[in-house]
Amino acid sequence: MKISFTLNGAPAQADAPPDALLVDLIRGLGHTGTKEACGVGVCGVCTVLVNDLPVSSCLYLAACAEGAEVWTAEGLAREDPALIRAFAECEGMQCGICTPGQVVAAAALARGRERPEATEDEIREHQSGNLCRCTGYQTIAESVRAYLASR
Amino acid sequence: MPADDLVFSAPATVAEAVAQLGGDDGEAIAMGGGTSVAMLLKNDLIEPGRIVWLGKIPGLRQLMAASDGTLRIGATVTLRELAAAEPVREHAPALAYAAGQVGNPRVRAVATLGGALVHGDPRQDIPPVLLALEARVRVAGPSGEREIPVAGFHTGFLETALAAGELVTDIIIPAAPGRRSVYARFTPGSEDDYPTVGVAASVVRAGDGRVTRATLALGGVGPAPLLVSRAGELAGRVPGAGDIEAVAAAAEQAADPVDDRLGSARYKKAMAREWTRRALRACLAGERGRPDSGPAGS
Repeated sequence: MKISFTLNGAPAQADAPPDALLVDLIRGLGHTGTKEACGVGVCGVCTVLVNDLPVSSCLYLAACAEGAEVWTAEGLAREDPALIRAFAECEGMQCGICTPGQVVAAAALARGRERPEATEDEIREHQSGNLCRCTGYQTIAESVRAYLASR
Repeated sequence: MPADDLVFSAPATVAEAVAQLGGDDGEAIAMGGGTSVAMLLKNDLIEPGRIVWLGKIPGLRQLMAASDGTLRIGATVTLRELAAAEPVREHAPALAYAAGQVGNPRVRAVATLGGALVHGDPRQDIPPVLLALEARVRVAGPSGEREIPVAGFHTGFLETALAAGELVTDIIIPAAPGRRSVYARFTPGSEDDYPTVGVAASVVRAGDGRVTRATLALGGVGPAPLLVSRAGELAGRVPGAGDIEAVAAAAEQAADPVDDRLGSARYKKAMAREWTRRALRACLAGERGRPDSGPAGS
């Protein structure tokens, strides 16, 4: 079936089986910042924004994205360089596996709020479900806080 | 694998959805957010010929509170919306709290109340809460609309009372002035995980402290969520520690769990008793949503 949506701000169209997952559709269009890791919605690496909400694209049927606005890690990084700068400056990554999901979650938190500051609890609750295999959560939370403060 | 001629549709009305589900050929599946459906597809547990996505039906996305506090919640209201909805936090705080604990923020942004009910996995958080709140399920199908009490909705592991071609349209949470409800979930591993046991308690008390109605339900400890009927016997009493113990013992008795990675059957039965104790004590103490009391005796 034909699926038309907006991907990282540009119109996109793909032909996919009705049971195709959004992660496969996006990667098929060359946006490989989105990755399938756990495949069961637990780890966060496949996170994308669908209409500003963070979604596990490994558990989201591509057909449901018809007409939606979808943003991936690389699109968000290009749109707002402060996002990546905050993670780089605060060393919010070690091996890098969870970074795409952490970055998209941080962008979702920023889009969903009026005021820049967030409490530690809010940040940790919001980033929860993005599993850092290196357990480097401290600097990830600092990165998110720095990004919010930079806006 | 799904049929080669699998059809995906996104109807705009309930009538269209019923038509697209197409009666009793067993080929169609109604889908809310799709988190569970995607898992079932990935694991080859379902092979639908038609997927009917309910996400584009405006009427199913409404959440309404009547002036008496009765809640009517559309099937495709997401768990994220449910957790934040003021009327739910006010009239059914256990439901708002439970909705905010399912999985992680990405799951809650997509997963729906209807899906959380229909999926029928006994480890889910939402079904025992709906049981304790004595919710009713509004259903539409080829032969019209009907209402099913949640108490009769789950008939077994991943099995429900829905007939072929039927879909859930709304969930009704009846009003009960003075009702307190809590949900206690025991997650010895990760909070993101299914609970080893989940206990939902709902208590209505009269002005003199006597209980007029009490319900308690368990998740995770049987093929379907289950009601602990012993809780009903609290009615007419000002419950003390002995009453709480009696219900906790009945919960352990009623629990019929299996050994799995969330715990041995014996352990789960013991935890059903302990977390029933905590949930009921918190509910009787007037707590709402998340019980914040510690272990018994502390």
